[in-house]
Amino acid sequence: MSQLANLKVLIADDHFLIRQFVRNTLRESKIENVQTAADGNEAIDLVQKARASDVPYDVVFLDWNMPTISGLEVLSYFRAKPEYADTAFVMLTAESEQQNIMKAIKAGATSYIVKPVSPADLGKKLFEINEWIKRKRQMSGGMFG
Amino acid sequence: MVREQKQLSLDSDMAKDVTAAVISSIRETFSVEVSAGAPEFGDGMVSLVGDISGIIGMVQKQLEGTLMLCMTFETVRDILPQVLGKSVTITHEMAVDAVGELTNMVFGQVKNELNQRGHQIKLGIPCVVTGKGHFVCQFHRGKYMIVPFQLDGQLFQVYVALHEVSSGRSSERN
Repeated sequence: MSQLANLKVLIADDHFLIRQFVRNTLRESKIENVQTAADGNEAIDLVQKARASDVPYDVVFLDWNMPTISGLEVLSYFRAKPEYADTAFVMLTAESEQQNIMKAIKAGATSYIVKPVSPADLGKKLFEINEWIKRKRQMSGGMFG
Repeated sequence: MVREQKQLSLDSDMAKDVTAAVISSIRETFSVEVSAGAPEFGDGMVSLVGDISGIIGMVQKQLEGTLMLCMTFETVRDILPQVLGKSVTITHEMAVDAVGELTNMVFGQVKNELNQRGHQIKLGIPCVVTGKGHFVCQFHRGKYMIVPFQLDGQLFQVYVALHEVSSGRSSERN
């Protein structure tokens, strides 16, 4: 079984095409526990509900430009809450200006992926993201466990 | 320190940026190959015919322009199953969504390349125009460039038009 298979993932993107593209790539890595959101509000709602039900997301992919609330705002909202410290928030966007990448990294993005991205490259990123999650959880386990 | 802004022009370098962005966006998203034809450069008004067009406005200090990806429904219908699956019936909404996102990716990449060369361009919010065999044309008399692409024998085009703004920023004109 793939070491990624247990990840729970949310894809927040207003474009159906990208939601499906990422879902396909995740499926190739045996990740089946995947939900989608079509705007920033829906993303916030789903992430909060999952945490409240004690089945939080491990990875949240965020488009930058989405209706209602941007991906950057969603990222900043959750990074201000310590209980989401080990959730990987990954910007997946066509926004490729260096200053915006820096803005997202400063706001706490775990990774920044510029579209278009090939399934192979996205798959590689997933391994890096999974390593980040493991490190974060080891650290918090060491401190509080 | 104020960085010097390089004046943008429609030339073979920009055609290369557009070509690379279209080929990589379609290859990476849909896993299909497209081939590019020779770019055509011209002056004045030109019309393109398509079914779905993604359009983005562009500004530089003394330039304004239009970037457009013009496709037929058949072309979009042929590539979408690569992502959505062969059993899915491709609807008009799915095709519009795909062209909108493709427009975003292609011209986001073009902007990045141009700005790395010091052009400092800004893009507007993309919009998608649809309608079987609709015409899209620009009303200013600037220069244009059309890059044709072929995907399994079907043609689609990318159109870039630039218009010089004589006094200061484009938003200041009447």
